[in-house]
Amino acid sequence: MERIQKILRGRFVLGALSIAVVLAAYQWITMQPDNNPALLPPIPNIIASFFTNIEAGSLQTTLGASLYRIFLGFFIGTTLAVIIGCLVGWYKTIEYLVDPLIEAIRPIPPLAYIPIIIIWFGIEEFSRVLLITIACFMVCVVNVIAGMKNVPQVYVDAASTMGASRFQVFRTVAVPAATPFIITGYRIALAAAWTTLVAAELIAAPSGLGYMLQEGRRYFLTDQVMMIIVIIGACAFIMDRTFRAIQKRLMVWSEARE
Amino acid sequence: MSEIKVNNLTHTFSKGTPEALTVLEDINLSFPSGSFTSIVGTSGCGKSTLLKMMAGLFDPTDGEMTLDGAVIRGTDRKRGMVFQQDAVFPWMTVAKNISYGPRIHGASKAEQQAAETKWIEAVGLKGFEDRWPRELSGGMRKRVDIGRVYANDPDVLLMDEPFGALDAQTKERLQSDLLETWRQTQKTVIFVTHDLEEAIFLSDQIVVMSARPGRIRHIEEVALPRPRSNEMRLTSEFLDIKRKLWNMLDH
Repeated sequence: MERIQKILRGRFVLGALSIAVVLAAYQWITMQPDNNPALLPPIPNIIASFFTNIEAGSLQTTLGASLYRIFLGFFIGTTLAVIIGCLVGWYKTIEYLVDPLIEAIRPIPPLAYIPIIIIWFGIEEFSRVLLITIACFMVCVVNVIAGMKNVPQVYVDAASTMGASRFQVFRTVAVPAATPFIITGYRIALAAAWTTLVAAELIAAPSGLGYMLQEGRRYFLTDQVMMIIVIIGACAFIMDRTFRAIQKRLMVWSEARE
Repeated sequence: MSEIKVNNLTHTFSKGTPEALTVLEDINLSFPSGSFTSIVGTSGCGKSTLLKMMAGLFDPTDGEMTLDGAVIRGTDRKRGMVFQQDAVFPWMTVAKNISYGPRIHGASKAEQQAAETKWIEAVGLKGFEDRWPRELSGGMRKRVDIGRVYANDPDVLLMDEPFGALDAQTKERLQSDLLETWRQTQKTVIFVTHDLEEAIFLSDQIVVMSARPGRIRHIEEVALPRPRSNEMRLTSEFLDIKRKLWNMLDH
């Protein structure tokens, strides 16, 4: 136990150290006499931009708008992915019916849908959420299907020979056995949600983090651009960590260790 | 009553091979109610295939099997199976694994609890109720497998080299414990193994099979007295049977 604590502490210290070195190097460059702060804003300016935007309330509204889109798109997309993925992965008939369709659509990057979505639905909230939903669904469903297909046959046979019906095997064996894959699907979907969100907001949004990035570019507010990049990184990081914690909780039975 | 009969069974694998491969030919067997029968033979004699068909995991090409006169088709809780591989569900604790059968058959919470208490005790896992399978040794996981099948109360137990992956000492312990459970429950057991000593130690009757195609070569009635003890493994009666059967196997 003490050893583990020691290693963790070492890991934490080293991680913090590498970040500190990069920040210090960045700050040192900005302090050079020939640096143009409009291109490379010093760290204090970036922090100042953060507080200015908080005071004006714009950062909160922006963050709220973006998080709302992420959560809604992520929730709908992954829920559909789990339902459809489980059915496709478990029932042969449904697989033959739906899998070719998924395979055909899968290689298309979700951002390619932006023009058609704008044509059909306009630059509306619905369009952005729809795009994130599609992105989350596509990456998640593939993992769910893989999970269902990788259920060890011996578990299925064991349950069947104890008299479990096909549906009972599905519910009590296949789904729990596929959980590691499903959770991985969720985590990849979350990353996809962020990518798609920022892209969608850069192109077509009156609010949101992507919009604020675009605004920063237009008015040459480099410190604001930098600040938003950091905010996006921090939010995505926090969400991923939260997921990892949930994963650990759900997967106490698993042999896999990080 | 729970007697399994195999009548004129032939099985051919035709999938994925250019020529159909006959794995089992003209098998006729009878497993009396409450008896302990082992099926031995070198690999490729189709003994596992035969057992899986009795479990209902797939159907024979020709011929049929019956349990108390009813033709076996598909899996059923009456015919429980213990596999060579680890089949303990890793996402359930030991106790939840044990009560899996009763649970899916709609047993009440109290009944599930009773099954857990009874069978955890019977297979010697007391104190490990709330452990995850990953925390157990291979031998203990096998105990969970066996307890789980017994807790489901089948008429017949089909065991497919259940102790194949265990070390010698653990194997002997589990064999003795299995005999004790069998004595108490008097359920028909059909036990597939390639280990002659294991077969002789456990069984009333040993079916010796030859390979390619799998046929019955000999049926040995084991006259050794019960209860069997580990010392018996070295007696001349025991070794005589072993020598006789050994000479019958394809080497």
